Amino acid sequence: MEQNKNWQSFGELNKSEAYNKEVNNEFNEELPMVEDHSGFLQAKAPRRDFLKYLGFSTAAAAAAASCEMPIKKAIPFANKPEDIVPGIADYYATTYVQDGDVVSVIAKVRDGRPIKLEGNTLSPITAGGTSARVQAAVLDLYDTARLRFPTIAGKEATFEAVDKAIAAELKGGAVIVTSSITSPSTKAVIAQFLAKNPGSKHVTYDAVSFSGMLLANEASYGKKVIPSYHFEKAKAIVSLSADFLGTWLSPVEFAKQYATGKKIDEQAKVPAMSKHIHFETVASLTGSNADEKYLCRPSEIGAIAVALLSAVKGGEIAGVDAKLKAGIEVAAKALTANKGAALVVAGSNDKDIQIVVNAINDVIGANGTTINFGATVNYRQGIDSEFAALVDDMNAGKVNTILFHGANPVYTWPAADKVKAGLAKVKTTISFSGKLDETAAVCKFVIPDHHFLESWGDAEPVTGHISFIQPTIAPLFKTRAFQDSLLKWSGDATEYTSYVKNYWSAKLGGENGWNKTLQDGVINPATPVVSGATINSSAVASALIAVNAAKASSKIELALYQKVGIGAGQGASNPWLQELPDPVTRATWDNYIIVSPAMAKTLLNIDLNNGGQADAYEVQPPKKVVKLSVDGKSIELPVLIIPGTHPQTVGIAIGYGRAESVGKAVVGTGKNAYPLACIKNGTVNFSCADVKLEVTGATYPVALTQTHFRYDTTQGNRTEVMKEMTFAEYVKNPKEILEDREAEAKPFGGLANYEKDATIYPVYDRPGIKWGMSVDLNACNGCGACVVACNAENNVAIVGKPEVLRGHEMHWLRIDKYFSGDMENPKVVFQPLMCQHCDNAPCENVCPVAATNHSSEGLNQMTYNRCIGTRYCANNCPFKVRRFNWADYTGADSFPDNQEGEVNDVVLNMNDDLTRMVLNPDVTVRSRGVIEKCSFCVQRLQAAKLDAKKDSRPMADSDIKVACQQSCPTNAITFGNANDKHSAITKVRVDNPNRSFYVLEQLHVLPNVTYLAKVRNAGEGEEHAEKAEAKKEA
Amino acid sequence: MHLKYESQLREPLVYGNKTYAQVTEDIVRPIEAKPSRLWYIGFFIAVALLSFGAYSVYREVTYGIGQWNLNKTIGWGWDITNFVWWVGIGHAGTLISAVLLLFRQGWRTGVNRAAEAMTIFAVMCAGQFPIFHMGRVWMAFFVMPYPNSRGPLWVNFNSPLLWDVFAISTYFTVSLLFWYSGLLPDFATVRDRAFTKLRKKLYGIASFGWTGSTKHWQRHESLSLVLAGLSTPLVLSVHTIVSFDFATSVIPGWHTTIFPPYFVAGAIFSGFAMVQTLLLIVRKVFGLTDYITIGHIDLMNKVIVLTGSIVGIAYLTELFMGWYSQNKYEGYTFWYSRAYLFSPYGWSYWGMMACNVLSPQIFWSKKMRRNVFVTFFMSIIVNIGMWFERFVIIVTSLYRDYLPSSWSVYYSPSIWEIGFYLGTFGLFFTCFFLFAKYFPVIAVAEIKYVLKRSGESYKPEFDAIEAQPLESFVHDHAHAH
Repeated sequence: MEQNKNWQSFGELNKSEAYNKEVNNEFNEELPMVEDHSGFLQAKAPRRDFLKYLGFSTAAAAAAASCEMPIKKAIPFANKPEDIVPGIADYYATTYVQDGDVVSVIAKVRDGRPIKLEGNTLSPITAGGTSARVQAAVLDLYDTARLRFPTIAGKEATFEAVDKAIAAELKGGAVIVTSSITSPSTKAVIAQFLAKNPGSKHVTYDAVSFSGMLLANEASYGKKVIPSYHFEKAKAIVSLSADFLGTWLSPVEFAKQYATGKKIDEQAKVPAMSKHIHFETVASLTGSNADEKYLCRPSEIGAIAVALLSAVKGGEIAGVDAKLKAGIEVAAKALTANKGAALVVAGSNDKDIQIVVNAINDVIGANGTTINFGATVNYRQGIDSEFAALVDDMNAGKVNTILFHGANPVYTWPAADKVKAGLAKVKTTISFSGKLDETAAVCKFVIPDHHFLESWGDAEPVTGHISFIQPTIAPLFKTRAFQDSLLKWSGDATEYTSYVKNYWSAKLGGENGWNKTLQDGVINPATPVVSGATINSSAVASALIAVNAAKASSKIELALYQKVGIGAGQGASNPWLQELPDPVTRATWDNYIIVSPAMAKTLLNIDLNNGGQADAYEVQPPKKVVKLSVDGKSIELPVLIIPGTHPQTVGIAIGYGRAESVGKAVVGTGKNAYPLACIKNGTVNFSCADVKLEVTGATYPVALTQTHFRYDTTQGNRTEVMKEMTFAEYVKNPKEILEDREAEAKPFGGLANYEKDATIYPVYDRPGIKWGMSVDLNACNGCGACVVACNAENNVAIVGKPEVLRGHEMHWLRIDKYFSGDMENPKVVFQPLMCQHCDNAPCENVCPVAATNHSSEGLNQMTYNRCIGTRYCANNCPFKVRRFNWADYTGADSFPDNQEGEVNDVVLNMNDDLTRMVLNPDVTVRSRGVIEKCSFCVQRLQAAKLDAKKDSRPMADSDIKVACQQSCPTNAITFGNANDKHSAITKVRVDNPNRSFYVLEQLHVLPNVTYLAKVRNAGEGEEHAEKAEAKKEA
Repeated sequence: MHLKYESQLREPLVYGNKTYAQVTEDIVRPIEAKPSRLWYIGFFIAVALLSFGAYSVYREVTYGIGQWNLNKTIGWGWDITNFVWWVGIGHAGTLISAVLLLFRQGWRTGVNRAAEAMTIFAVMCAGQFPIFHMGRVWMAFFVMPYPNSRGPLWVNFNSPLLWDVFAISTYFTVSLLFWYSGLLPDFATVRDRAFTKLRKKLYGIASFGWTGSTKHWQRHESLSLVLAGLSTPLVLSVHTIVSFDFATSVIPGWHTTIFPPYFVAGAIFSGFAMVQTLLLIVRKVFGLTDYITIGHIDLMNKVIVLTGSIVGIAYLTELFMGWYSQNKYEGYTFWYSRAYLFSPYGWSYWGMMACNVLSPQIFWSKKMRRNVFVTFFMSIIVNIGMWFERFVIIVTSLYRDYLPSSWSVYYSPSIWEIGFYLGTFGLFFTCFFLFAKYFPVIAVAEIKYVLKRSGESYKPEFDAIEAQPLESFVHDHAHAH
């Protein structure tokens, strides 16, 4: 029987060619993944779709990249890799590197996107600590200002074209200018390049160099190295204006060490505490933490060093005024009393001063104890004079080809015009900058390097300590490792990826050793070496003569400083860092001139001791603008009055006023202060004598997040907010604070019954888990790492300068800073303040719709989609930690088109599809009109509980670390289940009954955050105690 | 010899020796006449303000509360200040209509209609603020406790804001009913005089078929008494509950047990001041000086000086307690943030003191009480002062509370914040102009009760009789028999 033929189209009937093609093509619609790669960042695809396939593809890339080789193509999972589960984070050990700064980190990767960095606890150097800049680095990965392809003279080019063009230019040698390189393999690559291209040389240039110290050490010890420091071993620390907790050398490492000596063991029979004496020019983070602080001019540092040397030798103190003399006496007394456990550091970049400091350290026995030449550090290697010579060479037309990696001298060199002029004479200029920075902008070739989270590599911060870099995501753009370019141009076909692997596999016993090391992220020396170095005393004599010859100034001086977040300018384009309030000034988004209250009185006619004038200054954001001129250069900046600054010294932060091409965040933020620096004795000197200040009559608004800085107001001490005491007082009566609290609670039957008897309401049992936190104010130095960590973990919105000015910043965690005592040289305390998760929370009962309520685990929780935004809870919060979404900062609003013109460009940029990849998918992005606040990282608590549940075991203390706690370099924050007798939080509370206090305890809101009172090892206290004892005897 | 002995017991409540017909004519005529040019100008300005307010609110709803200059420390500013201010103004109406009715104060009839209307409109204005101060106003229905499909979610009965929802809505409903029930006979009067079919129909509907039967009157009287009985506690409760918004909190300057009586006194104070402001205009513009008399003004000024002095004592008590409690946070708020003239908001505290406590004291003088210009000026001053009072309570308490770290930068309102406030003026006056045009501004039926209350109106007749010679009586008498 003939089969009946059914057909659907003429094509099928006639079996046309087009029909056959169609039938044979199984997928006749294009796969979404085959879309044009270059277009997809501009594509108008909905955000969700964008994230969906970007996340999907990058997940695949990262999975393969982090385990084996980076793959260049993004393909969807045909077979899902075993260790990638959507929604479950993977963690990879890698290393934060930026211009010589090295911190070993663990990157949290969710669905192929790195979203958070945590410190790697396996590194003994930083031991899990991070800084604000480390925490913010993940945002730089998704910066929209990153260069997306190599360019020749500003036009897009392929790598092949670039390589071809440059190959011809390398004859006759090239100069490689880099910031300090800590990577052994990169150094090998550079060496190979130098060897292959005769006539080439490598110049290390650091924006803020340690030339003075390197040269001083060469003179004193014959080695041009920086030793490692051990603040934890020092019982007496003297800092000559070295901001070692904020920006000096390796702050994360030093903060950790420093806190060791500052933490008080209440259980110890003889309580001990290190003593830190600081000589301060302009109020700094380190100075704010000092036990004793003496104010000096930048030009007096040399004289102080000389006097201190004389004093520790038992000689006379000369050449300084009475106040400083007293300080030097105290310092010398402390140092000599603790020989072998004492340390002096100086922030000066002057070789002679550093030689004198070396001599002091030798006398006090620091050499070989607190200063270790057995393990030198590689953070800073640049010698300013070498770069100065290069600039001269360039201007003389002696340089044919120049390569910049990390270094950005067009912005950072004091005589930037000379660099620019020199570069104009160089035929081939190449920059490897990931962004179009000031130097890249004048270079012909720009070959963007990967972000470190996309890179392979290694770093050797301290000799013998290696920290590895492995990619956590495939390169987002057409970028290429700097080392790959050099290898290629050296005629080596090896890719840097294999180069690193081969380099280390050989040393680590093959593939397995390499994999194991990569997993750990670090290699540490088996036994730490501690050794001193022999000092060459002849260098001291000439240095003393040179220092003594320096003229003391009697005019106003300027000290340029770095901010914790912005550094030498690297942080300027990062909105998290710009919005991080500077620990010292609490200002965001700008630099300014810092003056002392005394100078404010004479210069600006503002007397901070006059209530009305102080109020007017505090409550009005526009600050007076002053024109500062020095050596024919001038700058106009607003003035902030910061107590703790020398009366005749003003300070300006460098790192601001960057080119707009490095990111939206730098637009309109501050001015470049690098040109005010000068080159003195061959090194860059970040201070100037004899500056002139002129009030211009203009004002400029500065976005401060804190207006008032005293807690001892005219109405008496608000001691319920902050408690501090001196070490002497503590030794005399450790229970003083406890007794005060007990007396306060006495009408309610003492502290033991306070919870129950100070209320007419019934008290509930709180069985099961009860989350609690403790913050040790002795360990906290106010660095701000936790604030940025909280930003990253909890998707805290950036609001931009105009909104900060209006008091709309969203930080869930802030670090309050208070002054007390003398207005000119006050004591400073930092107090991290987040939601206190009160058991008797005043915010909860006022919400009409119960959007904020109490969990059975003691959390004060916020239900965003229940909130109608009455702000009553924020008003009724005594701690003012609740934050309201005043505008559509996140783009999560249901109203379309309500951001343009209303939120700042920076905020819009944070809503860019690329930038949004940094968001933590575990945390809701809050929409406009709702209140938000610290949740104690509830997403982490839930995850930990579920993990424990899956494993059928009780939840352990170690399962949980909240973001602020984890980021803290000093472990100031303890968190855990306060109902668990064995938890760390319980231990902290039980072990420290004397210093524990709750903020505003008298309100009976019953906070769940304990603070351990600040104890300061200050002299006044000791004297006071002595006097009191003398009185008793009399 | 003149034998007449005259004892004046009370001033007349209505001047001009009106007949009943005249009363109706005087009050209803403006409704039937074409509005004056002034009315059009006033109405246009009111609608313009209302439109600007609506645009301000549109911006706030679309772009967020960030359109206002509130911040992390000052969560409430002009919004809640204006809310409390308007609610306070809304107090006089009910007091006049309900409490004075219960106390059989006849003089209330001249002013109660307008005062009640003012109450209704003021409460309407007040209501805008708590609604539109919400960050997500489209979710405002979450405050309604009704069985819903949003899971086991219910309102929080602990929250004073929720109490506000009930207090204000109850107050509004009862006031509206009271006002409207009083309007029924008057609407019927207007209906009966109507000269077009449409008017007849509309006022007919509005009067609910009032016929003026004795049964209607009897029920009307009973209803008035019942509603008066219901509203009287409301006069005390509404502002008490509004004051709980502050009194139940932990913020120094808010956490005060004195608030309920102090708020109620303040509300009556500001309410009467607003009634004065409006009635002085109305009596002039509509030529109702015979109905809203100097006697009324005098009496209301007495209430103003009494309540003004009560709030004055409350202010002083707060200051005293700020010192006596030796609570440093309270002390700081009362003695520095408020009473220290050179603190950032010191001006607002002393503005309040001058307007609310010092200036009303001139009303101890009868001459001043009965002076229309002084009264008008003072009524404005008192309203400004009472606005300052709410601003002082809200802003100076919030801006510097417990932690000095969170003390606020100087708060001044944005254009949209001011716009919202102006918009409520627009709403208020738009309503009031419409009311003045289409409603009898004086209770026609009620004023007739008190028309013959005073012997004064009979005086001319007696004078005429007395003027006649005795003979005429004799003569008449003789004729009669």
